[in-house]
Amino acid sequence: MGFLDLKNLTKRFGDFTALDDVTLEIERGTFVALLGPSGCGKTTLLRIIAGLERPTAGRVVIEGEDITRKAPEARRLAMMFQSYALLPHMTVLENVRFPLRMAGGDSVARQRERAREALALVKLDPLADRLPRALSGGQQQRVALARAIVSEPRVLLLDEPLSNLDARLREDMQIELQQLHERFGLTTVFVTHDQEEALSLADRVVLMRQGRIERDAGAEAIYDDPGTPFAADFLGAANLLPVTPEADGAGVTLADGQRLGIEGAPALPQGRDLELVLRQEDVGILEAGADPGEGRETLAAEVVASIFLGARVRYVVKVADTELRVLGPRQPVFKPGTRVALAFDPAAIRWASER
Amino acid sequence: MVRRFPPSALFGGGAVLLVILTFMLLPLAVVIMSSFTASQFLVFPPQGFSLRWYGEVVASTAYLEAAWVSLVLATAVTIASVAIGTTAAIAIQRRKLPFAAAFSGLFLSPLVLPTLIFGIGLLIVFSVYGDGPSLAAIWVGHVVITVPYVVRTVMAVLADADPFVEEAARTMGAGRLARLWFVVLPQARSGIIAGGFFAFNVSFDEAVIALFLRAPGVETLPMRIYGQLEFSPSPEVAAVSTLMIVMTVIVIVLIERFLGLARVSG
Repeated sequence: MGFLDLKNLTKRFGDFTALDDVTLEIERGTFVALLGPSGCGKTTLLRIIAGLERPTAGRVVIEGEDITRKAPEARRLAMMFQSYALLPHMTVLENVRFPLRMAGGDSVARQRERAREALALVKLDPLADRLPRALSGGQQQRVALARAIVSEPRVLLLDEPLSNLDARLREDMQIELQQLHERFGLTTVFVTHDQEEALSLADRVVLMRQGRIERDAGAEAIYDDPGTPFAADFLGAANLLPVTPEADGAGVTLADGQRLGIEGAPALPQGRDLELVLRQEDVGILEAGADPGEGRETLAAEVVASIFLGARVRYVVKVADTELRVLGPRQPVFKPGTRVALAFDPAAIRWASER
Repeated sequence: MVRRFPPSALFGGGAVLLVILTFMLLPLAVVIMSSFTASQFLVFPPQGFSLRWYGEVVASTAYLEAAWVSLVLATAVTIASVAIGTTAAIAIQRRKLPFAAAFSGLFLSPLVLPTLIFGIGLLIVFSVYGDGPSLAAIWVGHVVITVPYVVRTVMAVLADADPFVEEAARTMGAGRLARLWFVVLPQARSGIIAGGFFAFNVSFDEAVIALFLRAPGVETLPMRIYGQLEFSPSPEVAAVSTLMIVMTVIVIVLIERFLGLARVSG
């Protein structure tokens, strides 16, 4: 049993099934990303944890207590909204004090003190007396973050925490979130559609697809071995090549009849629609017929396009009618239309299949 | 590049604009100018210049009493109208009320129904089931016809407000009343003020319902003006009207200054 248990959660909106029997156990102190394309159910799941949405079936359990039917205001969780949702008529300090004011435990002076401390954590204490609209977007978001952590919630929920920020602010916020997480060990669940965001922030990535969990693994593990074609595609940077396994398991055949030896590659998985996953950083590009080197396998390919990136050249190549992306050195340059060979160590191969 | 209109279109458009402005502003200008006349009768163009009629109005017990009645009435109407209209708008817009569309239509219907018919109906209702015409009856009638303004403005403002603020307040432990007080009412504030302003003005200006439900000895300012025009059209009427215009302008300026008219009406 985890700290936060989501058990068989299903949510239907009319005919649409937003969540389909999702079960997830989250340990105390973990930083979990719910990743997926829009409409995959990740936001619905977050809202169900917060209590803003009632599941059609299933249970939400925190610290052993079933809170499925509990109102959001009684759950002692905090959520940071994508639009920040600051109270526009209240000063920054009053916004941050609001959860404490609602809880009503401390004296007003103590509440103010705690709000100031939370503001100091996000380095906004000098702006305590401003109104939210006098702040930049990035500052508003840090106010929202301070407001979310001020009451020391059991779980911190973040809805697309970086999506409204420009590149530089994203990085700042990312660091801010990581530091807060390390310092307080807050159990954090956040929603994102951006694989980079998920991989960089989370300890654990839960990839969702059409209301179900597609893949649930550590950030590095899921990047290294996506497991399914959808995951490989969504996590990016991967080349996918449909293949058919040979009967004896010694090799695979491509759509154009090419054979590839897979000695040294991970064991073939169960499941349909087998695909070979190759990261562009693991693949070298050679003249057709050149010696790939000891223990390396090759695939015949044709250059479709080359993009000069400075230190390296990115090639789009075609293998058995599938386009792949690989990186090559500056020299030699292969012109579009050239026959080339892709060389790689079979140990770098990953498999993906529909399960 | 800016597309240039042909001169004929510019001329035509300008002419239409001029006609519209003329009909909007000229009547007001006529009334204001007539109020400064030195003559005994309401004439245009005014003859000479004098503040005499303002003096007459200020010295007239009938006008002052009528103005006082109208002021009290409009204030009471505004209070009731804002309370009912705001509650209704919040319920329709935010609280997932069943039959929200039907309620919205019901609350807005007095805007399109003929006031005359409503006035007759109200008179019959009060005569059959109540004490007949009275100031209280006028108050009820005015509340009914002014509620739609409040409902409309508050609903419009709430439709623009971020609904996630209320959800955020929920996750921060705010119950229903706390959310109403700390989130929804502040969000509705500018709509409430605008709606209240409309309600006050409509009530202060209203003559049809007031005429149907007038009780002996009770006179509102529009009734007084109407009565005076019918029997002895003196320039006093123009002076009172000018004072009403000035009052309205002052209120608009105050709202603009402290709230911003764009925020209130938009």
